[in-house]
Amino acid sequence: MLKVENLHVSVEDREILKGVDLSIGAGEFHVIMGPNGSGKSTLALTIAGHPKYTITEGRILFGGEEITHLAPDERAKRGVLLAFQVPPDVEGVKIIDFLQQVLIELKGMGPVEAYDLIVKKAEDLWFKEEDLHRYVNVGFSGGERKRLELLQAILVEPKLLILDEPDSGVDVDSLSIISRKIEELNKRGTAILLITHYGRILEHLDKDSLRVHVMKDGRIIKTGSGNLVERIEREGFSDIFEEVGA
Amino acid sequence: MTETITISDAKAIIKNQIEELAKRNKEPNWMTRIRYKALEAFEKAPHNDPIISEEELLHFIAKPEIEGLPENIESLDDLPPEMKALLDRLGISEVEQKYIAGLAVQTDTGVIYNEFLKEWAKKGLIVLPTEEAVIRYPDLVKEHFLRLFHVDESKLTAYHTAVWNGGIFLYVKEGLKVPFPLHLFFLIQESALAQAPHIIIIAEKNSEFHLIEGCTAPILVKHSLHLDMTEAYFSEGSKGQLTVLQNWPEYVHTRPMTRAKIGNGARFINTTVGLGTGKSNVANPKYWVEEDGYVELNGILLGQKDWFVDLGGEMYLQGKGAAGINASKAVIMDNSTVITRGIIKAKAPKTKGHISCDALLLSDKATMETYPGLVSRVDDAELSHEAAIGKIREEELFYLMSRGLDEEKATQLIVKGFLEPMLKDIPMEFLVEIRKIIELAVSGGM
Ligand SMILES: Nc1ncnc2c1ncn2[C@@H]1O[C@H](COP(=O)(O)OP(=O)(O)OP(=O)(O)O)[C@@H](O)[C@H]1O
Ligand SMILES: [Mg+2]
Repeated sequence: MLKVENLHVSVEDREILKGVDLSIGAGEFHVIMGPNGSGKSTLALTIAGHPKYTITEGRILFGGEEITHLAPDERAKRGVLLAFQVPPDVEGVKIIDFLQQVLIELKGMGPVEAYDLIVKKAEDLWFKEEDLHRYVNVGFSGGERKRLELLQAILVEPKLLILDEPDSGVDVDSLSIISRKIEELNKRGTAILLITHYGRILEHLDKDSLRVHVMKDGRIIKTGSGNLVERIEREGFSDIFEEVGA
Repeated sequence: MTETITISDAKAIIKNQIEELAKRNKEPNWMTRIRYKALEAFEKAPHNDPIISEEELLHFIAKPEIEGLPENIESLDDLPPEMKALLDRLGISEVEQKYIAGLAVQTDTGVIYNEFLKEWAKKGLIVLPTEEAVIRYPDLVKEHFLRLFHVDESKLTAYHTAVWNGGIFLYVKEGLKVPFPLHLFFLIQESALAQAPHIIIIAEKNSEFHLIEGCTAPILVKHSLHLDMTEAYFSEGSKGQLTVLQNWPEYVHTRPMTRAKIGNGARFINTTVGLGTGKSNVANPKYWVEEDGYVELNGILLGQKDWFVDLGGEMYLQGKGAAGINASKAVIMDNSTVITRGIIKAKAPKTKGHISCDALLLSDKATMETYPGLVSRVDDAELSHEAAIGKIREEELFYLMSRGLDEEKATQLIVKGFLEPMLKDIPMEFLVEIRKIIELAVSGGM
């Protein structure tokens, strides 16, 4: 469903991704791990269409169609959704108004239907109705931001959900609800590309069904099953890097 | 401009207008004398306007009506097609459209208006067209008419005073609290259609009110220079709110003149929502604040097309503990120019003042300037200012777009969000229209 081919990406004339290949089938669960600064978020943002990241070589296909140069909203309409590592504040825009509009645009819902659905799904993620009248991300704690990102994913039910560190900086209880919700989405057919530094969020998943990619310096240098996660947690990256000569 | 209009030509024209107004209004002599005094002052009064030269001013006087508008508007079908289309797009009801067109002012609403105000009149609320107040409450009007202005300050004050017509007179009795916003659409419309309305607001001790002037939809005025003057008097402990909604057609130059005296412990919140500012809009309201009094000037501005907006604001904190806030938020588009220049002068101990100016620039060709001025004559005043002129942040726009909103919709959402905190006191029915107008302006549909 998603095919990334030989992707080279630069920011301000500095090459960050240096030839990434990645292929994700419908409903699959992929994980990307890698040291800080290796280019994981860059890959995620490039797939979502961030204008700051210039694709200098290679292409991105989604559902057989090339989306390399499509605007971000066009990608979203085709079923790509990114849950941000650091979602920005949007001053003055109420969560409820924003999400309503998203559901109207993406799902063709009516405003009332959208409102009810948002309130219901928000409850599952511990947001009260009055929280939804706050401005998007403004004054939200790190953990609240992650839950709000996930709420959007649940509402939209994209074909491909890219999650950029949904588990960083969240408390134990939030982590368990976040990982449960991700599993649920995956079971309902959403393909997942999850960027993380820790195995904990994957605890309940069948290790054999996971595809784990290790990123270093703008390249995917190894791909394996869920067991790779444990190994990284145990040994760190250096042995793996040595093994593949990276 | 083909022929030259001399100052004596202009004076002769003004004199005719005065005679006509005096006759039409059947006004008492003392008022007509005020007009004549203004006419005398006109010649020597200084003229300094950043846009309108003295020569142009004389032309406006000779020919106040603009050309190209339908002579007689007898039904909504006579409206210019663009305007009709805009009103439809905004979803403005037919009744309201009629007011905007200047139709059916008395006939449709005279009744409702009387019923409604009669009830409140018994309690001590007076709302009248200013001409009528001159006749029915001469002492009140005499005491407050042109007390906060000097007739010879400028040619515009003199001209306004000579030919003022329309406007509202609002009087709130001591201790009377009017619990709902007063939006006297018909009265306000009439005064907007008049070229030089004069508004007098008197809030007696401990009274409270919220007056909403103007409307969100564009009004079909026939003149090209609009000179309204507002004088507001707040007695001890009174609380007043004046919200001015403006959506001027693009051919109008507006020079609103607003001044207010805020007594001990009184509060005045003055909000201006400039959805359409007209060709040019230059204003420099002034406020004098006594002990523990409070004034807030909130300006919301949409700079569009090649329009020019210069919003000043002078606050004199002259009593101990007086406070003033001058806050503006501007969205600047196309080739427009927006200037804000608030001044707060602290003249008494323990006074506080704050100026803030936030601008969102949506176009490379638009210009924004801000000049905050803080003056302190005492050593324990707290005065501060902050200004931020910025563009839409790429991160925000990308975030919204990555959720499936196209660039236009995402921009509209951000712009509405930017202005939202300033619209906190505006009743819901206006907010819906205001938001729609912002959306249209952002997507270039106004
Ligand atoms: N917008 C940008 N401007 C400048 N440099 C950038 C930008 N985005 C990413 N970079 C640089 O690209 C490199 C990769 O960054 P990226 O955020 O993709 O790393 P990451 O793998 O997600 O790291 P982390 O695990 O810390 O989140 C870093 O050196 C970073 O500084
Ligand atoms: Mg990252």
